[in-house]
Amino acid sequence: MAATVAKVKKEKKPFHFMQWAKSRKGQQVLICVAFMVIPLLLLFTFTYLPFGEMVRFSFYDMKYSTPADKREFVGWENYIDVFRRDDCFGALKLSLYYVVGALIQLALALYLATILSFKVKGGNFFKGLMFFPYLISGIAIGFIFKFFYTRGFVFDTVLQWLGFELENLPYWLRDQSINNWSLVATSVWRYFGQNMVLFIGAIMSVDADLYEAAELDGANKFQQFRHIILPSIKTIVTLNVILSITGSLSAFEQPYVITDGANGTGTYFVIMNELAHTSQKVGLASAMAVVLLLIIFACTILQKLFFKYIFRDAESEDESYKAKRARLKAEKAALRAEKAKKGVA
Amino acid sequence: MKLKKVLAVTLIAAMTAGMAACGNTNANTTNSDQTGTTTNNAADDAVAATESGDAAADDGAAESGALSYADITLGEDYTDLTTTITVFNHRTDLQSADYNGTTWDEYLAAFNEMYPNITVEITTDTNYADDALMHLQSGDYETIMMIPAVDKADLSNYFLSYGDLETMQGEINYATTWEYGGEVYGVPSTATTQGIVYNKKVFEEAGITELPTTPDEFIAALQAIKDNTDAIPLYTNYAAGWTMGAWDAYIGSNATGDNTYMNQKFVHTANPFQDYGDGTHAYAVYKILYDAVANGLTEEDYSTTDWEGCKGMINNGEIGCMVLGSWAYPQMEAAGENAADIGYMPFPITINGEQYAAAGADYSYGINVNASADEQAAAMVFVKWMTEESGFSYNEDGLPVDADSTETKLSFEGVTFLEDEPAVAGEEDLLNQMNTESELNINAGGDAKIQSIIEHAFNGTMTFDEIMDDWNQRWTEAQEALEVEVTQ
Repeated sequence: MAATVAKVKKEKKPFHFMQWAKSRKGQQVLICVAFMVIPLLLLFTFTYLPFGEMVRFSFYDMKYSTPADKREFVGWENYIDVFRRDDCFGALKLSLYYVVGALIQLALALYLATILSFKVKGGNFFKGLMFFPYLISGIAIGFIFKFFYTRGFVFDTVLQWLGFELENLPYWLRDQSINNWSLVATSVWRYFGQNMVLFIGAIMSVDADLYEAAELDGANKFQQFRHIILPSIKTIVTLNVILSITGSLSAFEQPYVITDGANGTGTYFVIMNELAHTSQKVGLASAMAVVLLLIIFACTILQKLFFKYIFRDAESEDESYKAKRARLKAEKAALRAEKAKKGVA
Repeated sequence: MKLKKVLAVTLIAAMTAGMAACGNTNANTTNSDQTGTTTNNAADDAVAATESGDAAADDGAAESGALSYADITLGEDYTDLTTTITVFNHRTDLQSADYNGTTWDEYLAAFNEMYPNITVEITTDTNYADDALMHLQSGDYETIMMIPAVDKADLSNYFLSYGDLETMQGEINYATTWEYGGEVYGVPSTATTQGIVYNKKVFEEAGITELPTTPDEFIAALQAIKDNTDAIPLYTNYAAGWTMGAWDAYIGSNATGDNTYMNQKFVHTANPFQDYGDGTHAYAVYKILYDAVANGLTEEDYSTTDWEGCKGMINNGEIGCMVLGSWAYPQMEAAGENAADIGYMPFPITINGEQYAAAGADYSYGINVNASADEQAAAMVFVKWMTEESGFSYNEDGLPVDADSTETKLSFEGVTFLEDEPAVAGEEDLLNQMNTESELNINAGGDAKIQSIIEHAFNGTMTFDEIMDDWNQRWTEAQEALEVEVTQ
């Protein structure tokens, strides 16, 4: 008996961990670690590790096939090149087309979402119809629109039904003054349904009693939208705007599939892809990616500030005037920043 | 309460068991991997053994002069050989009964008339380039394969030599394609060249009686097509991209008449895109495209050209011509009912009164070095028969592979075929480096630069000389950056 006790006592020390693990605190820590290790490991392996590698690549002159020991360290040269070359930052100007497109897309989505969130005949059918393009793969959309815009094909035929003469219609993809708009339209067509569904979701969460009360007070639909819906869904509006604008800075699929980035439609991403895969300037392309990341950071922060001003006490009429002034101010600041950036470029 | 505890314990037990199972599976996989490696080693040993055996057999063969491509007389040797050989290749279209030309079945029937006891089993694959390498790596591959992209140094590990280079050059063309250490390991199935695929009927209707041989004549011919017919004189295939990069293939032998230009001299040339003034070199090649577009001799909307659609269009006479390698010729013929209207002509550049065309081998037959002696003999008989008797190269609109044959459907009378010389030792990578540095990507996917010629020509944003000056400058800067000696 005594022997067993002694044994237990002896074994107590190595069992110390088990005891801790059995304690409430130990359990908490263990479970936290156990649950976090796998996702963190995956996140690190597939996101941060490759990203770190890319940042490292951006300081080297290398091809994909260059063995690690033959890569030449060139310091900031790739970054200097990104700012010196006119094709890199020139491509960023094309993003303005997509930014304008993104704003149109959001306005359209918000408008349709508001209509569809009231009682509309066949509302669900329309929702489905408009959300549908988002479900098609980007490559397929590319092919659809390639034919859509071909001379005398779908789009021209439809316009001819409406009474347009084929001679007066432009070449949608050949004419360099409009081909970017054609591509932007494709992008709007694809994504506005998704924005709309997000908006509808947010609008649904607005308390229906508010509408009723507003109606009793004699508010029309537009006033309801402006004073009830918009303030209630400001978070999702902000989110959508930020996502759309950062998305338009990195527009890729449409120009890549429809026009192959040729004919003046090569966006920043397309140029980057071309440099990395055709010309094999991996270092330069990596530097471009890092620069774009910084630009997107800057844009996101600017937008955050902008929305902070615009939605500052949006409820009260008096304040909204102030908010408007603040917004204009912020816009000016953004413009100035943009100009300053161009100066740098 | 107790039930809950029991449940919890069971659950934990189950999960632990699951994890343990995972661990076990992992262990199993590693184990099997190891066994895999050991088997491989064993296999390697076996291969080594057979190789030594083969070497002995080869020696014997060499003594009796049995297994050498040159020594086989078709119809006389090995006629009583009974064996089965397998063939793996990329021509899936020849498997189908709908194929417009001769199918594999028809070739095999003809072969078996001469060699009734040799059974040939053909497998084809649409993803040939990748799958063929897998077959090779597995160690268990067909008796005859189209040689995929293997390093030349590894050729002898996989394939049987047909004979030494000197002997083989007397037998076949393009013998150097798969030559290593003086031995030839591949016999080309057919050979292709670079020219222009055109519609004879359209040219006739336009009143073109003689094929153009200079850039000026070619542009005049395109103008005649525009004036006299409804066809699109020159279809650019701008939108497909790679079809644009194909223009680079013409700046070597076709435009210079020098088969060392492309792989040896080009990188050392100062301003290779300059105007040589005599309608030759790269300048003349790209100027044809620029002028055709600037004069409205191409399709009206280049941005929506359709590669698959163009085949039927040229077959129906809606297109006058397209600048594509001769591999495209049979495809254009097969795309409609007017195969007889399609023709293939040399690229319209004349150097000192002579026209040249770059020619190169297509996929080549390689014979499994590990196959039994009978199978190897049968395989070599089959390859020789395909080359000399089958008419395969002729049927597929290729250039003759058999050194004694001049039969081809390509109407290249008076045109000298040139085979590009490889780069000089030590400079194999130089063109690649120049391509990267200059971003011109000559013959390496540089589609965008050719597309830009069309854009500038159409919109009038840059003259042709300005484009070429820009390219020259990029080339010169790349030469300086890489410290390439400029000697030309």
